[in-house]
Amino acid sequence: MRRPPLVVILLGLFVIALGETAGAVISQFRPQVARHAMARVAANPQVHGLAGSAEYDAEVTARAVYAVEAGLSFFHTHAQGLGPLVILVGTIGASVVPWRRARGALFALLAVGALFPLGYLAYSVAVLERGRESGIEMAERYVLTPLGSALILGLVALAALIVTGRRRGPAA
Amino acid sequence: MTVAGSDDWRRPPLPALLVAILLIACAEVGGASMVKFKLELTRWARSVILARPATHGLVGVRDVDEQVIDEAMVKFDAALRLFHLHAEGMGLVIIATTMTAATLVRSDGARRAVVVLLSAGGAGYPVGYLLWSALIPYYGVEAAKTIAERVIWIPFGGATIAATWWLTALVALRLARRS
Repeated sequence: MRRPPLVVILLGLFVIALGETAGAVISQFRPQVARHAMARVAANPQVHGLAGSAEYDAEVTARAVYAVEAGLSFFHTHAQGLGPLVILVGTIGASVVPWRRARGALFALLAVGALFPLGYLAYSVAVLERGRESGIEMAERYVLTPLGSALILGLVALAALIVTGRRRGPAA
Repeated sequence: MTVAGSDDWRRPPLPALLVAILLIACAEVGGASMVKFKLELTRWARSVILARPATHGLVGVRDVDEQVIDEAMVKFDAALRLFHLHAEGMGLVIIATTMTAATLVRSDGARRAVVVLLSAGGAGYPVGYLLWSALIPYYGVEAAKTIAERVIWIPFGGATIAATWWLTALVALRLARRS
């Protein structure tokens, strides 16, 4: 099996390393993360819709902190899963796609898609800075959707290239 | 094995592959066992918790105790699930990273160290969740977590994190030299 370009492997490794580190941070510094999140919510009362009522504000804060922790957890799991996937799919592309330009486009899509888990970091930060609903919407629209779409496009393109290569057979 | 300097992958050492495959197999067995023996596992954990009221802060009032037991059981179940998930994931991570190390790390010593750290760390880390789960009925959620952290998560997880960043740095260095 042929290996993909170094930059694709590097991105895959980088994402795995980030995912592992994030897992350790979530586990070891959970109280500190929660405290920081609560402080940021308190510092942005308008975007979070805090009303000055202790009971209501506590519920809003708890929901925002939960969303931040969920974002970090998604970052950890997606990074751990996507890193090996990018290396594996890159290997398949390097091994079975005979056309240089098609391979280049495929690697470019995979390289961009490899950064998809970082969208969940943006998700956590956006929740704190823009409020829960608009933060999630912003992260989904501007980070998660473009990066995820690149990865999906790369996978679909690889499937199409495999089929095309088989149809052309020995001529390819 | 392939010719050095070619664009082909080199396979990782067989022990690393064996560890990864056994880990994935354990994860599959763990997932299946959680479903198949759910009732037995729940009964066992509950009976051990009830036999240690002081450890879990049980006070003899049914409403209060049931809530405490429920919380411990949720964590007991979650730890088993986390073992299943992490073992599956780390098996693939071991294969991908040791294959990268075998192919792209030129120094024999560094390659061997990275492969050993990735294999041992990656295989050991998920076992921490199994240990946490097994210890929850005996020591309570937090005490069991502390033991699992000290005995497994910190040393094995630390080894994996250090080796992955080391490998990432070596590949980045190689890319920088090439360009």
